[in-house]
Amino acid sequence: MILTGPAISEEYRRGRIWIEPFDIQHVQPNSYDFTLGSSLLVYTETVLDSARANPFELIEMNGDGFLLQPDRIYLGHTVEVMGSDTFVPIIRGRSSTARLGLFVHVTADLIDLGSRNQWTLQLHAVQPLRIYPGMRIGQVTFWAVRGDRKFYEGKYQGSEGPCASKAYMDHASVTR
Amino acid sequence: MILTGPEIERAVSLRALTISPFSTRQLNPNSYNYRLSPIIRVSEERSFDARATHSWSTIQIPPKGLVLEPRRLYLGCTVETIGSLCYVPSLIGRSSLGRLGMFLQISADLGNLGKPHCWTLEITVVQRLRIYPGMVVGQVAFWCPEGSVMPYAGRYHDFSHAMPSLRGDQYHAIEPSEDL
Repeated sequence: MILTGPAISEEYRRGRIWIEPFDIQHVQPNSYDFTLGSSLLVYTETVLDSARANPFELIEMNGDGFLLQPDRIYLGHTVEVMGSDTFVPIIRGRSSTARLGLFVHVTADLIDLGSRNQWTLQLHAVQPLRIYPGMRIGQVTFWAVRGDRKFYEGKYQGSEGPCASKAYMDHASVTR
Repeated sequence: MILTGPEIERAVSLRALTISPFSTRQLNPNSYNYRLSPIIRVSEERSFDARATHSWSTIQIPPKGLVLEPRRLYLGCTVETIGSLCYVPSLIGRSSLGRLGMFLQISADLGNLGKPHCWTLEITVVQRLRIYPGMVVGQVAFWCPEGSVMPYAGRYHDFSHAMPSLRGDQYHAIEPSEDL
């Protein structure tokens, strides 16, 4: 079951959903709009490797925004620190940004219970697209669970700003 | 409702869902990490036709990895046999790979209730990306359905390897008037 907007507000007040800062104006009928933060991360090499740490640089956007190019993956971040220990968050782009060909995640829309951080957004533009800090870029939904709960203690917990892939840690622990 | 990690483990032990092989090390708070089979398929054809069948070559991903190219579609496969008649699966990629620009399951992340099998993975990349055989590549979550169960009657569940689209075959075999 998916929470309605009023239920998201109520669970925020009860402390079972974390959204900081929380703005009642961002509550939608069955989701909450989150905001794009000012930092972007882009890898400095064109060929990436899932078994290594890939070098990157950070870009700080100002009011003029930043022009995304289709041939690169950019990592952005939410202004909001979000998460829940009770409901599973799933993120989505907003239809208004999707109508401009922007992906806000390329594959991983499902957030772990207990994960609490500024979420890294996997930004990919189908055509060149200028984006701006502070824009409402996506929405988060919250879903009820069945079963005993265990919480996320993984490698991205507590991250601030865009966080580069740590796939190489999985590679070391499972593939070998 | 979505199953928590402990509930996925319980459902596996009760045989209400199949994940094989199963390791508690691959359990997440509300999903299970699956691995990439070493066989991947790619078509030499640069342009597809939704009413045609296409030839696909098979590549064994070497231990040193394989670099995927942008603007190509690759079909991979899970190492694990996954499925359930009780819980609806949805398959996505790992956030760690999304952060490297890998799309895994393009648009169709929702599985059907039905027979356990190895799932075909639709993969494309934004930038060139080196991947490795057996790597943890994605996550499967399970959802409680409501209503009586009508198991999947299509053909994809009969295959446990990377399976290209059967749409062209279906068009010629059973949907002669579709899209006309």
